[in-house]
Amino acid sequence: MLGFLSARQAGLEDPLRLRRAESTRRVLGLELNKDRDVERIHCSGVNTLDIEPVEGRYMLSGGSDGVIVLYDLENSSRQPYYTCKAVCSVGRSHPDVHKYSVETVQWYPHDTGMFTSSSFDKTLKVWDTNTLQIADVFNFEETVYSHHMSPVATKHCLVAVGTRGPKVQLCDLKSGSCSHILQGHRQEILAVSWSPRYEYILATASADSRAKLWDVRRASGCLITLDQHNGKKSQAVESANTAHNGKVNGLCFTSDGLHLLTVGTDNRMRLWNSSNGENTLVNYGKVYNDSRKGLKFTVSSGCSSEFVFVPYGSTIAVYTIYSGEQITMLKGHYKTVDCCVFQSNFQNTELFSSRAIRDKAKILIQVF
Amino acid sequence: MSRKRHRLVPETFGLKRRRELGDVEADPLRCESGSAREAVAEIVRLFPRVLFEDALPPIALRSQVYSLVPDRTVADRQLKALQEQGEIRIVQLGFDLDAQGIMFTEDYRTRVYDCVLKACDGRPYAAAVQKFLASVLPACGDLSFQQDQMTQTFGFRDPEITQLVKAGVLTVRDAGSWWLAVPGAGRFIKYFVKGRRAVLSMVRKAKYRELLLSELLGRRAPASVQLGLAYHVHDLIGAQLVDCVSTTSGTLLRLPET
Repeated sequence: MLGFLSARQAGLEDPLRLRRAESTRRVLGLELNKDRDVERIHCSGVNTLDIEPVEGRYMLSGGSDGVIVLYDLENSSRQPYYTCKAVCSVGRSHPDVHKYSVETVQWYPHDTGMFTSSSFDKTLKVWDTNTLQIADVFNFEETVYSHHMSPVATKHCLVAVGTRGPKVQLCDLKSGSCSHILQGHRQEILAVSWSPRYEYILATASADSRAKLWDVRRASGCLITLDQHNGKKSQAVESANTAHNGKVNGLCFTSDGLHLLTVGTDNRMRLWNSSNGENTLVNYGKVYNDSRKGLKFTVSSGCSSEFVFVPYGSTIAVYTIYSGEQITMLKGHYKTVDCCVFQSNFQNTELFSSRAIRDKAKILIQVF
Repeated sequence: MSRKRHRLVPETFGLKRRRELGDVEADPLRCESGSAREAVAEIVRLFPRVLFEDALPPIALRSQVYSLVPDRTVADRQLKALQEQGEIRIVQLGFDLDAQGIMFTEDYRTRVYDCVLKACDGRPYAAAVQKFLASVLPACGDLSFQQDQMTQTFGFRDPEITQLVKAGVLTVRDAGSWWLAVPGAGRFIKYFVKGRRAVLSMVRKAKYRELLLSELLGRRAPASVQLGLAYHVHDLIGAQLVDCVSTTSGTLLRLPET
């Protein structure tokens, strides 16, 4: 490390190389953090976490009891032992709280003034952060499994919503109504994700073993249905293409948007080329997955070889994305891990993970 | 000094934390030069030909190749390259969508030719099978075939395709698509599934649900294990149905907690 620093100082090295080396070193050194903790507000499992993309300071969490809590992650006290305090929360006594479990929360991608949450009570609610009031509600006919808003969109404000029905709904925040529907899946949509590279490309994963890539401007159907066998692409066999041999549970684009990772209940994780839908055939081995709803996993950003953090039973497995080797398993939870989010910030690189179903607190995992 | 700079970053920082995989040569299962073709040849040597009276080509499973070649992605790529060159054929075995059988193309062709044509000489589907072996097999190296491919490119009519399915060379996958199959593989699959379950139960019944590999291989095979203990152990390790832990007394097989 000192070698890198002195080379940077002398101008022998590119600044980006030092930054990547340091990020990679931090990710490889991730361990359970004994000094930091997150305040326990949720009485039941935590289903979803999101860290705001602007500063990386505030985190939202959504629980199985419908409660949404906002935490401040910054440590302004001088002590190493610190509990992240909850700034505010939408508790059971709030008049507009979700009736059932909150499945996904997401900050508005451009600032922290707004966030969206979707829940099993068939609604998607848009909240104003400062007043903690609802700005808008979208009602659906089926329970909502997942929603996502594009992080790079400037020309549209569409939120993609995956419900128990086979249609993906696109809701427009500007007009307050559902703008259109994407048809093509046959069973419930378990995960949706916009591409971080192109603002109109959307990926959806469904319980019918298929994952599809859509361009939302195109009316006629999906662009590509991902096929794990990379067989011959002809119109007649589009129906036989499956991305996994079980339900497709989770989706994550890599940070440059060129590749897509999917996990399925066949205990496999696959890496796809997002421009032509080709299975890159990187083999991660058995990625244990028995979640009946979506699994939220995350990738690192800014490292020299990117890593993916996947909940694996009660641990988090860390793999190198492009070569498929397993780096380590992060142990710290007692029950199944449901969701993890990654944040690499000024001094700390942190991975937050949450447990669902009967387990309470979140444990924060941080590099030393 | 500039030579040090060009090492890959994960090599500089990450690998120091991992223990070296100790004495590889003492381990009876891992002595492999790392090539997928040699792994398949090794498994083919373990296959009991006598049991099937030479009617079946020796089949290796993909999971067995994973246990011999440590890096799975490399193994996949090498197998795909071999498939494209036409040296091996990959076949979907029906019992598990993950389990794929691998055979050398030569073996497949000779055995299918011998046994199917011997069995169905004079039967209506002999001609269809001969045409299939001659035209389709060398041309298309995939696992599955589609309707339009069979009718247009290779000139098969629907009754001929039905004859191929009856002969056992094709299995129905979906409306209009078929998997390549090995005729007579039903017996192999039956022995395989029973044997896999029996070896797993041997590990499960052991104290603390773990067994030393050398001890497992030294035990007498129960009656339901017809394909050989070593054959099944390779498959279990590669399919990650048991965890492999290296200890000072050798490799230990342990059932995973999940």
